[in-house]
Amino acid sequence: MGIGALLGDVVRSLFSKPATEQYPFVRYAAPDRLRGKLVYDPEKCSGCQLCIKDCPSNAIELLVVDKKAKKFVMRYHADRCVYCAQCVDNCRFECLNMSNEQWELASTDKAAFEVMYGKDEDIEYLLQRAAQPGADEPPCE
Amino acid sequence: MTNSSGEKFVVPIGPQHPALKEPGQFQFTVDGEIVTGASIRLGFVHRGIEKACESRNYTQDLYLLERVCGICSHVHATAFALGVEKLAGVEAPPRAEAIRVLGGELERIHSHLLWLGVAAHEGGFDTLFMYTWRDREVVMDLLESISGSRVHYSLNVIGGVKYDITDKMADEIRRGMDFLEERTHYYMKVVTTDDTFVGRTRGVGIMTKEHAERLGAVGPTARASGVERDIRFNAPYSAYKEFPINMIMDTTGDLEARFIVRIKELFECYRLIREILDNLPESDLTVKVKRRIPAGEVISRVEAPRGELLYYIQSDGSDMPARVKARTPSLCNWATISDVAIGHKLADMPMLLVGIDPCFSCNDRLVQVNRPNQTDLNWSWDDLRRYGIEYYR
Amino acid sequence: MNLSLHPLILLLLFPGGLFLLNIGMIYEWADRKLVARYQNRQGPRWFQPLADTIKLLAKEEIVPKGVHKGLFFALPIIALTGALTAGLYVPLFGFEPAFSFQGDLVVTLYLLSMMTLCMGLAGANTVSRFSLVGATRALTQMFSYEAPFLLALLGPAIAAGTWNIGEINNFAGQNLWMIIAQPIGFVVAVVGLMGKLELPPFDAPEAETEIVAGALTEYSGRGFALFRIGKDVELVIGLTLVVVFYLGGISNPIWFIVKSAGLLLVVAALQSMFARLKIDQTVGLWWRLGALMALLQLVAIILGRYLGALIR
Repeated sequence: MGIGALLGDVVRSLFSKPATEQYPFVRYAAPDRLRGKLVYDPEKCSGCQLCIKDCPSNAIELLVVDKKAKKFVMRYHADRCVYCAQCVDNCRFECLNMSNEQWELASTDKAAFEVMYGKDEDIEYLLQRAAQPGADEPPCE
Repeated sequence: MTNSSGEKFVVPIGPQHPALKEPGQFQFTVDGEIVTGASIRLGFVHRGIEKACESRNYTQDLYLLERVCGICSHVHATAFALGVEKLAGVEAPPRAEAIRVLGGELERIHSHLLWLGVAAHEGGFDTLFMYTWRDREVVMDLLESISGSRVHYSLNVIGGVKYDITDKMADEIRRGMDFLEERTHYYMKVVTTDDTFVGRTRGVGIMTKEHAERLGAVGPTARASGVERDIRFNAPYSAYKEFPINMIMDTTGDLEARFIVRIKELFECYRLIREILDNLPESDLTVKVKRRIPAGEVISRVEAPRGELLYYIQSDGSDMPARVKARTPSLCNWATISDVAIGHKLADMPMLLVGIDPCFSCNDRLVQVNRPNQTDLNWSWDDLRRYGIEYYR
Repeated sequence: MNLSLHPLILLLLFPGGLFLLNIGMIYEWADRKLVARYQNRQGPRWFQPLADTIKLLAKEEIVPKGVHKGLFFALPIIALTGALTAGLYVPLFGFEPAFSFQGDLVVTLYLLSMMTLCMGLAGANTVSRFSLVGATRALTQMFSYEAPFLLALLGPAIAAGTWNIGEINNFAGQNLWMIIAQPIGFVVAVVGLMGKLELPPFDAPEAETEIVAGALTEYSGRGFALFRIGKDVELVIGLTLVVVFYLGGISNPIWFIVKSAGLLLVVAALQSMFARLKIDQTVGLWWRLGALMALLQLVAIILGRYLGALIR
């Protein structure tokens, strides 16, 4: 019985550095396995779409530019993603990965959350197609 | 305290109140400082997760169910994964089971330390609150380095686990456990010897064994009253068969006993984690599970940090469950508050509330609406609307 | 330097108005910072109390339904006035008190109690249930600490043979620190001060996990700001009183800062070491222990003086 069981720690705390992390000013390296932003490597992708099938939050879309030539563009919605890494687990070709460097994803702009992965020319092609709907459709007779 | 018209003086705690971290309403009728009546109203954070499970496949459900609770997320996923594996007739490899248990015990440490802090805060002991939460960071960081996330670890997949424990990580965890064990001894001392704190806990909210059994209490709340109820011990699941646990009991049944049971459980966690790390079986991490789960139904029980967690899963042979039902430990423990509260001081109420380590969003699962004078269960939109207006009038 | 300002305006600067307000905020910051450091936290930056006050003053003041409007607005002002007036009789910064007369000790103590009284009234004035419970607790607590605190301050007064704070200050400066002669009185006085200021562990009247903000739950904006400033001022005056009585008095500003900061260090440590006491525990502690100890101390002093006179 007694009072002041905390006395030792209280006095010690006064002379030690605060445990508070000075986050924006002092940054610590994230652990290797941190699940941050999803990174996609279009070179290895086979277009099996297994990642999309098991995504709990519909965060991934795969846009097929040319299936035979294995040209794919991935549209990734970082705001929908729950960072569970199930897609990474599902991928048999290791073309998906979760970055441990890009995890400060806050943005005031909604557009920043929609990320396009793929070869530049494919993305451009898709964007162009989106800008002129119906351009590459065969003309109706 | 009654006013001139003889009306009762009711102190409402919630839905929004500094003592509550989640919305729930407790109405305490007081006479001066003495509580003479208590009622509980829940359901402010019903999210319809059970229903949502029926429109997603098993893998997606795993992540959805993990989000039932922010503190015991791993346990929910484990319970679900174990149930689905049973339905599919597979068993996860021994190493995967061991890692599941390891994750579960690390989570228990984080949950109990969090609870210790919150309970101290409710008792106005903010320094203890700050210290426990500071030390809790150690276990949070360990979980982050194992799984890649501090809260929703996503360790489980159907048929195993995603992440392995490397030797380097094992050493890190051992170091963390050593540090935490030393700190926990210290907290034990503070909680059981500091007069001001003991004055708030000893002899407060006493629940006898018979009482606890009648009310169906679970988890540390029940064990503090001497009820032998721990799924890890009574019906070992996963790797608890290979790594048995000692059940921590106390017989006093007051708030102090709940502190002691939870803190002693922390020591048991440290011991078990060290044992698992020393004897981690070698095997694969996953077994293949077909997407379509054979038709059938299963009940899966695990011990969450707060008590027994029960999952009922029904499959119709497709890749989506036909019905998922979760019964969380908090739901079993509510009755102990309203029953025990009467006769205590108003100042004891926050600590009594927190004594069961309540999790509101966990248990607001189902809303049953009984229509007066009618047996028809199908309600039209208009009916519901009218009912809502009447209800909140 | 000869300033030819009207004495009333001077009074508004020192020690009455501006000076006390500012030093109150500085002490509030020091207190918060120290408690934070004791809890291994970072704590607020130096301008935080000022920023809080400005923010509160700028905010809309909501008048809840069912209150007596005049009382609702007047109470914070009376509370602050009481605290500021008490500052006139205290040797702040080691200067002579602005006013002094035989018996100003009693007046100061009663002026300091105005704060709690006003808070109790403010709580009882609203219909909020948290406020009512808070008001009841605040007044209950006042009845429990007031007598022991007064007795604890009486000890040095009797030793000095005067009821004038200024004279006690001089007496304390010339003699042995009274903390050595009357250790019990010092303990009772410090703890009593914490009870008076409703600092943890005596914060049952504003226990946020039970009754939100206690008596001040319904206050917002200006009224709340005034109550807060009043409390800060009271902290300074309370610290000064204890320093004057027990820590050898204050003869110059440097001693004032050193001694009161040292006392604040102890008070902050006491704040962070205990769990909140229930209101019945508070009352029990004061009447069973505090009052008794203070009385014993008093009897010892009186006997000592009597015997001393006999020997001489």
